[in-house]
Amino acid sequence: MPNTTEQELRERLDLIESMIGEGRRSIESWGWAFVLWGVAYYLAIAWSEWSHSVWAWPVTALIAVAVTVVVASLKAGNHPGTTLGRAIGSIWIALGVSMFLLFLALGVSGRLTDQHLFVAVMSAILGLANGASALILRWKIQFSCAVVWWVVAVATCFATDPQSRILFLVAIFLCQVLFGIYSHIAEGQQRKRRSPIHA
Amino acid sequence: MPDLPELNPVVHGRLRLALLSLLSGVEEAEFTWLRVKTEATDGNLGAQLLKLEEAGYVAVKKKFVLRKPQTLYRITKTGRQALTEYVQALKQLLGPSI
Repeated sequence: MPNTTEQELRERLDLIESMIGEGRRSIESWGWAFVLWGVAYYLAIAWSEWSHSVWAWPVTALIAVAVTVVVASLKAGNHPGTTLGRAIGSIWIALGVSMFLLFLALGVSGRLTDQHLFVAVMSAILGLANGASALILRWKIQFSCAVVWWVVAVATCFATDPQSRILFLVAIFLCQVLFGIYSHIAEGQQRKRRSPIHA
Repeated sequence: MPDLPELNPVVHGRLRLALLSLLSGVEEAEFTWLRVKTEATDGNLGAQLLKLEEAGYVAVKKKFVLRKPQTLYRITKTGRQALTEYVQALKQLLGPSI
C-alpha cells in the first residue's frame, strides 16, 4: 500500500474504533428506560405515601416492566444481538427479578416497616447494577451514578426519616432521570456526527 | 530497520473495513442494520459484502421472518483474524505517533 498516507491510516484506525463503538451506542439507546423507571419510582413513592399500600411498589413495577418490554420490542427492530448487550441486559433483568421478589415478600409479610432499610437495600442493588454495567462499558458517567447509589445506601443508615427520603428522591433524579436524558442526548448527537462511508 | 507490514487490500477498503469492524462487535447483523450504520447504498453495500464473503471473511445466512426475506451476516474466524492482523499492521505503520 505505497500511496497510503499517514492521515489515511489514522482515519482507518478511527473508523474501526467508531464502528466497534456502535455496540456501546446501542446501550446508550436505553436512556428512555432510565427515565421511565425514574418516573415509576416517583409514582410508587407518591402512591405508597398517600395510601400506605403494600401493593404500590409491586403494581407500579409490573406496569413499568410491561411498558419497558413493549417499548424495547418496538425499538429493537433489526438491531443485532451482541454479547455485550446480553451481558448488560442479564444484569438488569436479574436486578429486576431480585428486587421484585424481595420487596414483594417483605411487603406482604409485613416486615418492610423500616424505610431506611428499604432505601438502603434498593440503593445498594441499583449501585451494583450501575457499577457492573459501567465497568463492563468503561463508562465513567454511569459509574458516578453507581457511586451516588452507594453513598445513598450508606448515608440512609445514619440519616433521619426526612433526610433519607430526600436522599432517595435526589438519587432517583440524578441517576435515573438526568442520566437517562443525558444518554438519550448523547446517542442523538453521535448519530448526527456519523457521515456516510464509501467504498 | 524492520520491514513495514503490507495492509490487506480486502480489509483496507473503507466500507469493507467498517463492515468488518461492525460485525466484529455483534453476533450477526441484518443487511438493513448494516445499511443504517454505514449509510451506504444498497448496491455498494451488497457489492462490498460479496467481496468479503468471497474472501471468506463473512458468512451469509438467509431466512424468512413473517414471510419476509432476511439476510444475516456474521464475521468468520478468518475475518476476525484478518481484522486483527490489519489493526496490528496499522499500529506498526503508524509507529509511536499513536
